[in-house]
Amino acid sequence: MGIVAVEASLATIGPPAFGSRLWLSLLVVPPTVALASVSTTTRRTKEELALFAYGGSSWQILLRYFFRGAICALIAFSPVILQGFLITTSIPELILPALALLLAGGLFYSLPSLRRIRSSSFVENYKS
Amino acid sequence: MPSVIETKSVVVEYPSIRGVLRLYDQGVSLKVDQGDFLAVLGGSGWGKSTLVNVVLGLEKPIHGSISFRDHNVTRESFVKRCGLVKTAAVFQRPTALPQMTVSQNLHLALSLAGVPRKERDERIKESLAFFGLDKIERSYPDGLSAGQRRRIDLARALAVKPELLVIDEPTGDLDGSATNLLIPLLRGLNRNQGTTIFMTTALPRQASQAKHQVHLRPPMVLTPENRTIGD
Repeated sequence: MGIVAVEASLATIGPPAFGSRLWLSLLVVPPTVALASVSTTTRRTKEELALFAYGGSSWQILLRYFFRGAICALIAFSPVILQGFLITTSIPELILPALALLLAGGLFYSLPSLRRIRSSSFVENYKS
Repeated sequence: MPSVIETKSVVVEYPSIRGVLRLYDQGVSLKVDQGDFLAVLGGSGWGKSTLVNVVLGLEKPIHGSISFRDHNVTRESFVKRCGLVKTAAVFQRPTALPQMTVSQNLHLALSLAGVPRKERDERIKESLAFFGLDKIERSYPDGLSAGQRRRIDLARALAVKPELLVIDEPTGDLDGSATNLLIPLLRGLNRNQGTTIFMTTALPRQASQAKHQVHLRPPMVLTPENRTIGD
């Protein structure tokens, strides 16, 4: 709720151009996806342990979470991006912030996982 | 032929409330040859699971070395080790993903192992039938018994047709009848399919079923005084 409030208030202060609205959204994406990732730590840890046990590498696991985060950001901001397509006169101006949103979504969703699997206590979960 | 696994003087240390806990004070040195079935026997808290993690590259020793087929892999990851010896691991805690069905779990493991899509169904069918899980292939792991979940892990591990199976306390949370089934099953795998097995257990009776045994010693608590002497 706090994040939405910040975004809403910044959007009213900032320039009215659509691109600026999308750039402002970049402030919202990282904390939201990071919170989403952290809030499911128990489930994610089980998944990471399974993937490791199944022979997956850290990169495969991170890539999986990166795509998940990017898709979350894409779905969440699809109305804004769609609106941009309808009103913008310059597609590159829209694509750049949209790509930045996806990148931020993926990156910040996978960061908590990276922290978990790098932690020395991670493999302790395999022991009972 | 080079050994599948060779450890030389492996020592691991952990911080604990009483001081630094040193596992395998004299260092663990062991050799597992192709087609071998080795049981590591030790009491609770003696570092059996840690040794499994060390062999798999999930934990690093403070001293000693680990080789896979004569390649020093002490600092290498599990994935790199799998590149040298096709390895599958079964941990003490069940690892099957709860949001996937039994057969989906096996599918995921096979896809991560790079098994071609058209081969996967056949292998899954074979593996599930081998462990008597064919009737529950569409069930979710959370609704199954500990014994069944343990068998899912084994089916998953064996579906990739590993050269080396590393298994930590295979009967840890199983009842008597499941235990009685599992060990002969591992022996059969070793004998009939030639799978090299590295197993840990706290039960001497179980360890005696393996071809070779290694006995761990209790850990040692290091204080500033004995650490100086020991080092």
